[in-house]
Amino acid sequence: MPFIVRRILGAIPLIAGVSFLSFLIMQWAPGDPTLMYLDPTVNQSDLAQVRQNLGLDQPLLTQYILWLKELLNGNLGYSYITGKPVITSIMDRLPATLLLSVSSLILILIITFPLGILCGYKKDTWLDDSITIFSFLGLSIPTFWLGLLFILFFSLHLNWFPTSGFLNPMLMEAPWLTKALNIMSHMMLPLFTIIIGGIAGLIRYNRFSMIKILAQDYITSARARGLSERRILFKHALKNAMLPIITILGLDLPSLISGAFVIEYIFSWPGMGQLGVQAVFQRDYPMLMATIFFSSILIILGNLMADILYTYVDPRISRAGKQNLR
Amino acid sequence: MTPLFTRWMIILGSCFVCFSCTSPTHSGAASTLQLHLSGEPTVLNPILSTDASSSSVEGLIFSGLFRINSTLELEPDLAESYAVNETGTRYTFKLKKNVKWHDGHKFTAKDVKFTMDTVLNKKTNTVRRSNFIIGGTPIQFKVIDDYTFEALLPKPFAPFLMRMAIGILPEHALKDIDINTASFNRSPIGTGPYKFKQWQPAQYVYLERNSNYYLDAPKVKTIIMKIVPDTNTALLAFEKQEVDEVGIPGKDLKRYQDESFLTLYRYYDLVYTYLGFNLNHPFFSDPNVRRAIAHAVDKSALVNGVLMGFGTKADIPSSPALWSYPPNDQIPIFDFDPKKAADLLASSGFTMNPNTKILEKNGQPFSFKIITNKGNKDREKTAQMIQQMLRKVGINASIQLMEWSSFIATINAKKTPKPFDAVILGWALGLDPDGHSIWHSSQYPNGFNFIGYNNPAVDKLLEQGRTTIESSDRKNIYHRIYKLIANDVPYVFLYFPETLQGINNRVKGLSPAGPAGLMNPIENVYLVE
Repeated sequence: MPFIVRRILGAIPLIAGVSFLSFLIMQWAPGDPTLMYLDPTVNQSDLAQVRQNLGLDQPLLTQYILWLKELLNGNLGYSYITGKPVITSIMDRLPATLLLSVSSLILILIITFPLGILCGYKKDTWLDDSITIFSFLGLSIPTFWLGLLFILFFSLHLNWFPTSGFLNPMLMEAPWLTKALNIMSHMMLPLFTIIIGGIAGLIRYNRFSMIKILAQDYITSARARGLSERRILFKHALKNAMLPIITILGLDLPSLISGAFVIEYIFSWPGMGQLGVQAVFQRDYPMLMATIFFSSILIILGNLMADILYTYVDPRISRAGKQNLR
Repeated sequence: MTPLFTRWMIILGSCFVCFSCTSPTHSGAASTLQLHLSGEPTVLNPILSTDASSSSVEGLIFSGLFRINSTLELEPDLAESYAVNETGTRYTFKLKKNVKWHDGHKFTAKDVKFTMDTVLNKKTNTVRRSNFIIGGTPIQFKVIDDYTFEALLPKPFAPFLMRMAIGILPEHALKDIDINTASFNRSPIGTGPYKFKQWQPAQYVYLERNSNYYLDAPKVKTIIMKIVPDTNTALLAFEKQEVDEVGIPGKDLKRYQDESFLTLYRYYDLVYTYLGFNLNHPFFSDPNVRRAIAHAVDKSALVNGVLMGFGTKADIPSSPALWSYPPNDQIPIFDFDPKKAADLLASSGFTMNPNTKILEKNGQPFSFKIITNKGNKDREKTAQMIQQMLRKVGINASIQLMEWSSFIATINAKKTPKPFDAVILGWALGLDPDGHSIWHSSQYPNGFNFIGYNNPAVDKLLEQGRTTIESSDRKNIYHRIYKLIANDVPYVFLYFPETLQGINNRVKGLSPAGPAGLMNPIENVYLVE
């Protein structure tokens, strides 16, 4: 427990540092929210007034301290572009983002884990080669192209799914089950596009980690003791092969809420990716700071969770940890 | 493993089958018009918004004192009539009496006054304030009675009426509320033909017919404006009839030419693309050099190469669609003529270096950089083609593509000379010909005259154009302005792109194709199945 408390306490200055640095970097980027449009009917004096109203004429440090003060009061501020509370904008997008990212992650894990292990176990056989080729093909096809191809084929020609969007507006007042099924039908194409692009990496990790484990002395000795291949694979190798996957998943946690911009753009999916990228281009500082703030918390959380999970999967780590903490 | 794999394929397959059964049926589609928005609206408030998506939605919800009809003329909307005094400084508006806000409140002159005061209030984050300030003095707005409203101008100002087309806000819904962050901006109340019902962020805006509308009752019951940012997806959604209209890029036109479910409309938009020179650059301060470049650029090749033929060449900063456009014989034309270009450059003291094949003056090679914004494929291609055309007359142009905000920061740099040589950019033309913000010397270095154009005769005419009320007089003034500007060649005016719009054949009651939109007014639009 003290280990976890320590880690959490240590994260606070880290988050403060990250937020300050990102604030600086953002402000150093050329332009500001009022310079985003070039319209001959707009007078410079109006832009100057808006800039003053938004506090953009204040010194950088003052702006940062104001932001921090609001944050400590639990206020993430208002978007400079829409005037909408930042937290509302994020909450609007979070459900769609999580729905897509969590479902795709679960499906990717379900697909890649057995396939990766199998590839590692059957290393350099035709099965390993064909899975590898297939997964690399998925990795190298550009997402936007694959997405459009899916829309063209599954939506336009086969008429299985809608081209894009989240929920048919006509079903606004429909029963929840009808809505849920409609959302699912909208989700299928973006989901499969993400999965095809996402499986290659994890299959490779699983495969490599399995190969490494199977080459270890204790596996050889297990074989020498005459244990069945099944027992060696599932009892001795599998658990250890999971370690690197946990690291990857921990690092992947922020991407669950950050959204996938290209996918969201192609499929008009109302997720966080579009919100974040738009905020960058519009120099919408409050929105950007909020997304960076959440991402940094999730990165730290993800690492922490990975560390904790290690101790369950690999008892050596927990022992070492205890020794170090003493 | 094989059984496991098979099991998964079965599960995945059944997902497909299951969800494919739920493909949406368009219940109520017959009474619903599905429009396309290419971006998420920012804020549904006509005095705050600056983006095209927001104004498309606002146009249906809000009304102004005037509106622009399909022939680009102003016609009374909330105003019943107006009168102006002889000096052109006092406008009296009679307002329509039968107008109600979408929430049932009566519309009165107080709402107009409230809107104008809010625009003029410094705390409002609006970029429209200067529209109602003339020579540093704000226009005074006065309520005479519930349906009479007066505007007192410090001096005559021709574009004033056009500016009164701004959407009017309800005082009762916004009084004593911070308008910048008001929730009103996300669930607006207007007086227009359609009522706001719902806005699902990044999905759609849902509007319903205003049955109390004071003009002709709208025929279409509901309008759903779908937000589809990707052009290709929007085209596919149009083909699948999930949206009823879409902008079609020239390169994709062939795919749709023979389709029976749609009608194609073509019109020139009020936007022109130009090559602008930094007039403080040592080479470009010489008008002959600029004229030479104008002769070296083949505009027809640009129209064919960049716009696939869907456009026309531009010669002056105005569009043939506007009333202020002069007759052809009054427009100075710089034909594509590389020989003439070479002669003009020679007369300005440039000589060809036989080794580099680049022109030189006083030992300085004629090299310069064209900047434009990254991501605009038309401008990128234009830059490349111009680069090749100039290379043929011995000018070495390089290209730098810049991210939008760095690009804006460069041309808006508050110093002189500004840190660029030449720029490729486009201007959207307003319906009023006033070009003060682009051509007047007072708009440099802070303003949109970032090239530093300074012609006292043009300055004087621009000021005259703003204060002259009689439109035939104004016409003459602008003809003279265009002639002077075209002769000075501060820009090489390149082309007007053509807008190609596909509309589903179930949509009827459209207006003639033009920059004021095909569904203008929206009340006339109806659907057939």
